Amino acid sequence: MTYENVKKEPLVRIAKRPELSKGKATLVRLSSILVALLIGGLLILVLGYNPIAVYADIIKGSLLTGTALKSTVKIAVPLLGAALAIAPAFKMKFWNCGAEGQITVGAIVSTYFALYHVDNLPSPVLFIVAFAAAAVVGGLWGLIPAFFKARWGTNETLFTLMLNYIAIGFVKYLRIGPWMDKGQMFPKVPMFDKAARLPEVFGVHIGWIIVLALVIFIYVYMTRTKHGYEIAVVGESVSTARYSGMNVGKVIMRTMFLSGAIAGIVGWMMVCGTNYTLSDTTANGYGFTAIVVAWLSKLNPFTMVGISAFLAILQKGSNTIQTNFGIPASASEVLTGLILLCMLGSEFFINYRFVFRKKTVGGDD
Amino acid sequence: MKKILALILALVMVLSFAACGNDEPANEGGENAGTEGETLTAENIKIGFVHVSDPSDMGYTYNHDLGTWKMAENLGISEDQIINKYNIGEDEGCATAINELIEAGCDIIFATSFGHGDYMTEAAAEHPEIQFCHATGSQAADSGLSNYHNYFTSIYEARYIAGVAAGLKLNEMIANGTITEDEAVIGYVAAFYFEEVISGFSAFYLGARSVCPSATMITLKADSWSDPVKEGQIAQSLIDQGAVLISQHSDNTSPATTAEAAGLFHCGYNSDMAEAAPKASIISARADWSIYLTYAVECVLNGEEIVTDWCGGYAEGANFTSPLNTAVAAEGTQEKLDEVANGIKDGSIHVFAGPWSGYYVWDQTPYECAEGEWVEESETRSAPYFGYIIDGITLLDA
Repeated sequence: MTYENVKKEPLVRIAKRPELSKGKATLVRLSSILVALLIGGLLILVLGYNPIAVYADIIKGSLLTGTALKSTVKIAVPLLGAALAIAPAFKMKFWNCGAEGQITVGAIVSTYFALYHVDNLPSPVLFIVAFAAAAVVGGLWGLIPAFFKARWGTNETLFTLMLNYIAIGFVKYLRIGPWMDKGQMFPKVPMFDKAARLPEVFGVHIGWIIVLALVIFIYVYMTRTKHGYEIAVVGESVSTARYSGMNVGKVIMRTMFLSGAIAGIVGWMMVCGTNYTLSDTTANGYGFTAIVVAWLSKLNPFTMVGISAFLAILQKGSNTIQTNFGIPASASEVLTGLILLCMLGSEFFINYRFVFRKKTVGGDD
Repeated sequence: MKKILALILALVMVLSFAACGNDEPANEGGENAGTEGETLTAENIKIGFVHVSDPSDMGYTYNHDLGTWKMAENLGISEDQIINKYNIGEDEGCATAINELIEAGCDIIFATSFGHGDYMTEAAAEHPEIQFCHATGSQAADSGLSNYHNYFTSIYEARYIAGVAAGLKLNEMIANGTITEDEAVIGYVAAFYFEEVISGFSAFYLGARSVCPSATMITLKADSWSDPVKEGQIAQSLIDQGAVLISQHSDNTSPATTAEAAGLFHCGYNSDMAEAAPKASIISARADWSIYLTYAVECVLNGEEIVTDWCGGYAEGANFTSPLNTAVAAEGTQEKLDEVANGIKDGSIHVFAGPWSGYYVWDQTPYECAEGEWVEESETRSAPYFGYIIDGITLLDA
């Protein structure tokens, strides 16, 4: 670097902000949603529709009728579950991008029991066995990249991501091969028998109760237990953890087993509670969207409830506007993307600020 | 503070569950009750559609949608009596879409994609007061439900005619010296491999072979009804493997535009794909869904039973071919097509007539169809059930 380059100050610099007060940070976050709605409104206007009518329709189509509300909740529940699954791993700064695959293997195992043991197990036993099997297999699927990371320091982002495609590829094989519905002459897995479908409480499968219980479990686990403390220390600094005598490899593997197990349970409720069959899209992208939920809620399990409900409303609502206004699917995805981008972008403005050349530049690092 | 907020959020979620639980009984009587008392007329009937994509595919859904509006015009039904659910996948979203249509008070519900069948069957069993019609499906007869119906057209007839146009084009290319006899390879973009698709490409192939005896066909599947990018990639892959003419059983025009970009030729499905690829697309096999839709809605209005399996033929106009793209087609094609069309109408031409040999797709049992014999299609149910892979057709990825 030459001397001039160092001396010449750029027009705009990005500088770390001193910590914002909670009130101000909340204000920034709320205004980001407002900005998102305004930009989205502009998009809707350009497409030739009335923004207010479209927004009203999103609310109506996701919350205001029985079927719509149930369907929104059915989106929120697995999303929340997947976010809870990746939370401990992310706290540890282990970037688990494999929830999608962990959900899928949980779903595969549950499907096995639902298809082949529905006749010889009473329903409650079937549910418990499938639940346990999904958790164990999901956990093991999560354990694979953790083991490699702990042993050989492999890159967990790539590893977990690649395992997704293996799991989904395996579903394709099952769907076209051994598990194909022979009665239909079409490559799909049969629908589950009524006895293999989860009972409903208030019109939604019991998965929602389990997920809400998991919210409390993860909260307690992360903040009130030795395990949770170890996860936090490993996340902050592996060296510190090592100096204080923690077995880092063990913490990583244990946490990823838990993470995968919860994702596996989500897979179980997807097939037994929602879809009643297994398909390539059983995980439905929840494993990826959950990353957004986890970030936006800053890994706080209670905040996740609100964020996943919000995203579910957006998703269900965007389906509705496709129907009622004929807005193409791609355009309503752009709208959802805009809103998310603004919400995530606000985190940037909470942590950083722009410094212009003319202004005095004291006080920042 | 944070905890209180979180608690409130959790509470809101729980309460919303409770609320949706309470909603249920109200909905059952809800909007449906309004129409139940009075007689159904063209002014108050409500019609629901579950579509696998949206009309922007310019293919299957576009074509089915055309049928909807033609039916509305025929019967004097206004736009706001028709509710279209677009982009409904073959998964749980389908159950939700059907439930929302029921909630909105629909008296008759149509679903257009094969994979919607399982959800239609369950909804039909739960709501005997509503008529359910499922295109391309095969579950109605087995379900034994009087309010559940399947419909399709004998599209294989229009496909056969399109195949003849393709065969004549291959002949022209052979005569010009562009290709040798052995290079008369048709590439077929298939959505899946099962009877509906197999019936279609076999008919197309037999049509082509009836005029170009050296024609062969290679196929690849997209594992999706509608995936514009993948359909285009498959078409390109078929071209790379020697195909000089592309046809398709998939919803988008990307195979047509891919063929055009390669300077090759194409026969379309669902819509007149010559609009998307004027230099490549010779002719398209199409269905006119308005005939069935008009019939089914009329039955509901008159309080009559809808037949369990409906399969509209070429002779009654339920399937047809788009106008021949004379700029691309070989000389003399129109005359030959008229002759074949007449043969199909009067029954002198059977699409799946021998001689051909092949095997049954599900268990590889060999099958021989001798000269003068033919395999029947769509006689016992509306959804196609021709499942033989004829020698000369190679499934590259089966």
